[in-house]
Amino acid sequence: MATIAPDLTPSTKTNGNNSSDVLKLGRPFRYIVLTLVGLFFIVPIVSSARFSFLGNHNSFTISAYTQLFGTAQFWSTLFLSVKVGVGTVFLTLALLIPTVVWVHVRLPKLRRVFEAISLLPLVVPSVVVTLGVITSFRGLPNIIYGTPVILSLEYVVLALPFSYRALDSSVQSIDLKTLVEAGQSLGAGWIKLLRFVLLPNIRGGIIGASILTFAFCLGEFAVASLLSFTTFPVFLVQVGQLAASQAVALSLIALLFTWIPLAVITLVFSQRRASRSTIVADE
Amino acid sequence: MTKYNEELLDSNIRPVDNGEKTQVAAGRSSRGRRRGLGNALGAIPFIAYIGVFLALPAVSVIATAFQDGNGKFTLSNFNEAVHGVYLKSFVASIELSFVAALVAVVVGLLAALAVSSTSNSVVRSLVTAGSGVFANTGGVPLAFSFIATVGNFGIITKLLKSAGIDIYAHGFSLYSVTGLAIVYQYFLIPLMVLIMLPPIQAIRKEWVDASQSLGASRSQFWRWIGIPLLLPPIFAAFIVLFTDSFAAYATAQALTSGTIPLVPIQLGALISGNVLAGQTNLGDALGAGMILIVVLAGVIYATIQRRTSRWLR
Repeated sequence: MATIAPDLTPSTKTNGNNSSDVLKLGRPFRYIVLTLVGLFFIVPIVSSARFSFLGNHNSFTISAYTQLFGTAQFWSTLFLSVKVGVGTVFLTLALLIPTVVWVHVRLPKLRRVFEAISLLPLVVPSVVVTLGVITSFRGLPNIIYGTPVILSLEYVVLALPFSYRALDSSVQSIDLKTLVEAGQSLGAGWIKLLRFVLLPNIRGGIIGASILTFAFCLGEFAVASLLSFTTFPVFLVQVGQLAASQAVALSLIALLFTWIPLAVITLVFSQRRASRSTIVADE
Repeated sequence: MTKYNEELLDSNIRPVDNGEKTQVAAGRSSRGRRRGLGNALGAIPFIAYIGVFLALPAVSVIATAFQDGNGKFTLSNFNEAVHGVYLKSFVASIELSFVAALVAVVVGLLAALAVSSTSNSVVRSLVTAGSGVFANTGGVPLAFSFIATVGNFGIITKLLKSAGIDIYAHGFSLYSVTGLAIVYQYFLIPLMVLIMLPPIQAIRKEWVDASQSLGASRSQFWRWIGIPLLLPPIFAAFIVLFTDSFAAYATAQALTSGTIPLVPIQLGALISGNVLAGQTNLGDALGAGMILIVVLAGVIYATIQRRTSRWLR
């Protein structure tokens, strides 16, 4: 991989410089478009902030926030969502790390096929998945079907398009074959190999997949609400029917909490993509 | 929320992988068939997991759609799904997704062009990071932040009212299909930007130079080379955005409390128990219909994508 990747970076770099020459769009056009689009994204956030601090007669108040934090349900639903999220992340990693490594070592021919399989959840809308879960798992023991465990089990699948991709590209970026062969020739078994050689090398991908999966779980509404579990987003909708300013405050918190980690991984991954060839297994 | 973005972002890098893959594959295929079976073993847990938690539910929905309450074969569920309020909801869903995707394609393309034409690296990475973040935004919080902005008592609504413009008196409503189409732009436009940046940046300066040295003008370059190159990814992006808004449930449900006639909302209402007598498996027919539409879109997408990746090498 390392030997082939170098072609990649210089070309993307020159592309980057070129496209500004190729397009030759006027400065006014650029600024007008980017400003208008930027406004569309910033105004709702600013308005939400303003709305959530709005008291009677346009006064400033933080009561929406203090009331929220004083609600027991706020903490219990948040805790439930975090539990489901952590469970999903562990299940995802336990299922995907061996699979992705296996596919790269033993079934490199089928790499594309597995990637396509990981995109299958996009074909079945989550509302439909929920209906299918109800019809096909009704008979299962209550400990699975009647508890949030079923949420974690399904979220692993629904978050697959993001989690698989993150792990797959990070395994792709290391010279897996050489690492495995070197480890084996030094007498390491698969477990040792995974623990001391592979995991440290794909740490970035593991963190990326975990953050994406966790963010998905914290925000997922359709499955949870239709299976009647009051997770954080379901609670948010309930609040919205009673107290608009609290719901807006809650939304703002939820958005900021998912945006910050997402921004970090987007930046890290785009930088990595650019420098993948120069520092291949340097992690 | 759909996150095709990662998938599409990387699509231009694939050819490099492909070349490498075939080398490895060639080395492998000579090693006999017995290893093939052993090789497949390690993939079984993953395949089995998807089989149980994705394929089984999906297949059971499709199978149940063809059964009546007693498990006998019938087409009456589908008959009902394409009449009356359910037909209307299919039409409304398709209309909404079509319009929302179309607007996002135009705006997102303009934004992607504007970003690509700037040499300012801060603006570039700001837009890339912003797109990555906003494309993954959606669901309930998004609905509430728009309620706070242009809802009945939203900040902008009140601001405009004090300026003498009452948007709700002029037929605008956030809690309608139009409103939803606007809210969906919040994740559709960034998705469009993410999808279009690689193909736009793949247009080489050398191609412009080559066309100029052959005597072509700038507009001729765009007419015969630039636009034909960008059309397939634009069309593919349109389909991604269409599917994304077609399957979206949370935002619509939170914004309209389930009063809007869209397929996911109707299906959700059927699941949560608002089932009339004789409609036992109607929901499954709606679900099968949704799968069918997404699969059709996916087939078109795959066809276009295959064509696009050829020149991106």
